[in-house]
Amino acid sequence: MNLATIIDRHEPNRTALIDGERIVTFGELRTQSTAIRAVLHVIGIQPDDRVVIVSGNEPQFVPCLLGALGLGARIIPVSHMTPLPELDRKLAAVDPAAVLVCEDAGWLLEHQQQFAAPILDVNTLDLTNIDGAPEVMERDPDDVAIMMLTSGISGDAKIAMLTHRNLEWAQTALSGDSNNGMLESDVVLASLPFGHIFGLNAVLLTALRVGATSIIQRRFDVDASVELIAEHKITVLAGAPPMWRRWSGLADATESFASVRIAVSGAAALRDDVFDAMQQVHGVTVEQGYGLTETAAAVTNNRGVEVRKGSVGKPIGDIEMMLVEDDGTPVDPGDSGEIVVRGPNIFAGYYGSVDKTEEALSANGWFWTGDVGVIDDDGYVFIVDRVKDIIIVSGFNVYPAEVEQILLTHPDVTGAIVVGEPHDLTDETVVAYVTGAVEPEGLITFAQDQLTRYKCPTSIYVVDELPIAATGKLIRRELRS
Amino acid sequence: MSSSQKFRFEPAPDLPGSDSLNRYGQAALRPLISRLWDVTIEGAENIPQRGPAIICPNHLSFCDSVFVPYALPRRVWTIGKAEYLDDWKTKDLFPAMGMIPIDRAGGAASQVALDTAADVLAGDRLFMMYPEGTRSRSGHLHKARTGAARLSQRTGAPIIPTGHSGTLAVQPPDQFMMKTGLPVSVKFGKPMFISDYGDPSDPRTIRVFADAVMFEISQLSGQRYIHTYAGDYDATTEGAKLKVAIDLPKGRKKAVEPALANEMVSNM
Repeated sequence: MNLATIIDRHEPNRTALIDGERIVTFGELRTQSTAIRAVLHVIGIQPDDRVVIVSGNEPQFVPCLLGALGLGARIIPVSHMTPLPELDRKLAAVDPAAVLVCEDAGWLLEHQQQFAAPILDVNTLDLTNIDGAPEVMERDPDDVAIMMLTSGISGDAKIAMLTHRNLEWAQTALSGDSNNGMLESDVVLASLPFGHIFGLNAVLLTALRVGATSIIQRRFDVDASVELIAEHKITVLAGAPPMWRRWSGLADATESFASVRIAVSGAAALRDDVFDAMQQVHGVTVEQGYGLTETAAAVTNNRGVEVRKGSVGKPIGDIEMMLVEDDGTPVDPGDSGEIVVRGPNIFAGYYGSVDKTEEALSANGWFWTGDVGVIDDDGYVFIVDRVKDIIIVSGFNVYPAEVEQILLTHPDVTGAIVVGEPHDLTDETVVAYVTGAVEPEGLITFAQDQLTRYKCPTSIYVVDELPIAATGKLIRRELRS
Repeated sequence: MSSSQKFRFEPAPDLPGSDSLNRYGQAALRPLISRLWDVTIEGAENIPQRGPAIICPNHLSFCDSVFVPYALPRRVWTIGKAEYLDDWKTKDLFPAMGMIPIDRAGGAASQVALDTAADVLAGDRLFMMYPEGTRSRSGHLHKARTGAARLSQRTGAPIIPTGHSGTLAVQPPDQFMMKTGLPVSVKFGKPMFISDYGDPSDPRTIRVFADAVMFEISQLSGQRYIHTYAGDYDATTEGAKLKVAIDLPKGRKKAVEPALANEMVSNM
C-alpha cells in the first residue's frame, strides 16, 4: 500500500481543489504528484528520508505530499507562518533530505543559504513534466508516512510518527455512507491548517480519498468563509472552536449554512453556548469529535449517533477505549479517568525519542492520551481536562477547565486561564489569569460563591492577552512557567 | 453525651426487617451506647426532619455502622452483604440497625443495591452509604466511589457529609470486641445537592460532586485526603472481571502512594 495512491481511482476531470479562481482536477493532481516524484527522485530521495513541506493551505501542498510519499519518504508538514528560529529548530529535529517550499512560504527562499538541507522552490518546478518519474513505491502498512510536530512552541515538542495504516484507517473511518461520513458528492471547506492533523487527515486527505471537492481557504476569515460556504454550497464544515464561535455570532448568515450536512468541531472543547447558538440561530447541529495527532485525528465522533451536547461522541469503529487510574486500573463506571485507547490508528511512536514514546505507549499497544474523560451510561464520552494540567490542592484534584468555565460566566470576564502555583500549606493553590474589565477581589468572591473552597482561585491576575492557540487550545504551560 | 435531638422511630413495613424488632433493637441499643461510650454529636440539626437524605460518612471501623446510626435523630437504612445473615454474630444485630441484605454474588448486584437504595429514598427515608466503598486501611480519607453521587443524581436526595473520629480505637481492624469508655465524635455537615455543583445531566458533574462531598467530610473528620480508591477491589461485584489493570507505559512513573498504613495507627 501507499497513501500516495489515494487519488488514483477518481475521474481525471473531477474537481479536487478550488482555490479562489483556480480549479485543480484529480487528473492534474496526479500529474503534479508524479512530477514532484520525478524531481525528488533526481535529487536522490530514498525511502524513509524526511521531506519537509513548508506551506499554507494551498493547492501545491497536495502534489508535494503525494509525490514524496510515492518515493517512500516521510513527510513533515510545517506551516508557512512558522518563525525562522522555530523553523530552524524543527528542521534540526528531523534532519530532512529536502525542504519543499510552496507558494505561501516564498519568504523563506531569502534565507535558504542558512539551511543545510536542499531547498526546492515548488513555484519554479515544471509540474507538468513527469519524465523519469519512478513508479509509486509499495510500502508496508506499518511504514511511517507522515511525521507531525505536535507541539512546536515549547521545548517539549514531540514528533509523532504516523504510518500509512494509521492515516488510511482514520480516513476510511471518517468516510462512507455507513459511518454517516464524507462522500464523493461532498463539498468540503478546507480552512483548518494542513499542518494540523485535524485539517490534514480528517479534512483534506479524507476528502481526497473519497473524491470530494475541497474548497481551500488559505487563512480563516469569517465573512469570506461564509461567502465560500454559500457560493460552493459547502456540505462538510469542519472547524476549531474559535471558528464556530465566529460563525455562531453571524446573525444574517443562516441561509448560507443550509447546505451543510456534516458540521464538526475539534482540536479543543466547544463551548455549550456556541453549540446552542449554532443550533438555534443557524439550525446547524455541531458535533464534537475527539482525536489527537497520535491517533491520526480519530478517536470518537458523533457519526451515526444522536449528537449529545458537551459530548465528543462514541469511539469510532474498532477503537478500544478505557478510562483508568494512574496505575492502569479501570475506574468505576461513570467515574473520570485518563483516556487510554488502542486501535489501528495509534501512532508508531515519537521520532527520535524512545523516552517520550515509552511514556505514552504501553507494551500491549495502549496509548495513554493524557486526557481525562468520563463515559456516560450510554457510552458517550465527555472530556474533562488534561492530566498534566490538574492542580492538586491538599490532595484534592482541581481541573482548571471547571474553574475557567465558572470565571467565564462572570459578565466582565472575556477570557480565563487557570493554573496551579506551589503553596507551602496545600502543596498547590489555584491561580487565574483573566482578560476583561474586572476587579480581581470581586472575581474571587464571585468564584467563592460557586466553587468548592479548595477550587477557588487565591490570586487572580488581570492581563491584556492570554496564550491561546489558533485552534482555541489554552496554552496553560506558558503561564505556569 | 447523647444527641440533642430526640430519636424518632419511623415504621417501614414495606422494607425488609421487622419493625417491632427494629423498634426494640433501637430501644435497647441506644441507651447502651450512650452508657458505654462518650459520644459527641455535632450538626444533628443538618439532618432533615423529614424527607430523604443520603448519609455519607468516612469509614474507618466496623463499628462506624453502630455510631453513625446512633448519632442520627431518625431511623436509617443501609445495604449489607446477605452473608451477614448467615453469621450468628450479625444476623439479628444488623437488620435491627437498618441493614437491607443484598446478595452481592449476583451479576447485577450493584444495580440491585442502587435500586434498593432508591426505593428507600423514595419513601422519604434516610439511607446511609460509605462513599469510599470500603474501610480505609490507611486511616486517611480516600477518593469516593461514584455510587453515592449517582444515587443523589438519580433521586434528587441531598447528601449529608458526615465525619467521625474515635471509632478505630473502639474497634481496630480485625477485632470483634469493641473497647468501651472511649470518646467518639460524629459530625454532620449541611445537606449538599448535586445541582449546586453543575448540570446534573452532565456525567462530569458526578465526580465534581463526589469530590466536593469528600472535601466536606475531610473538614468534619479532620482526615488527610488521598485521591485513590480505598482498599482492594471487592472481587464479588459485577465489575470484577473488568478490573484488570492494563500495562503502564514503561516510561511512566507509577503514582507514588503517600505514606500510608501504620501512620495513623501509630498516632492513636
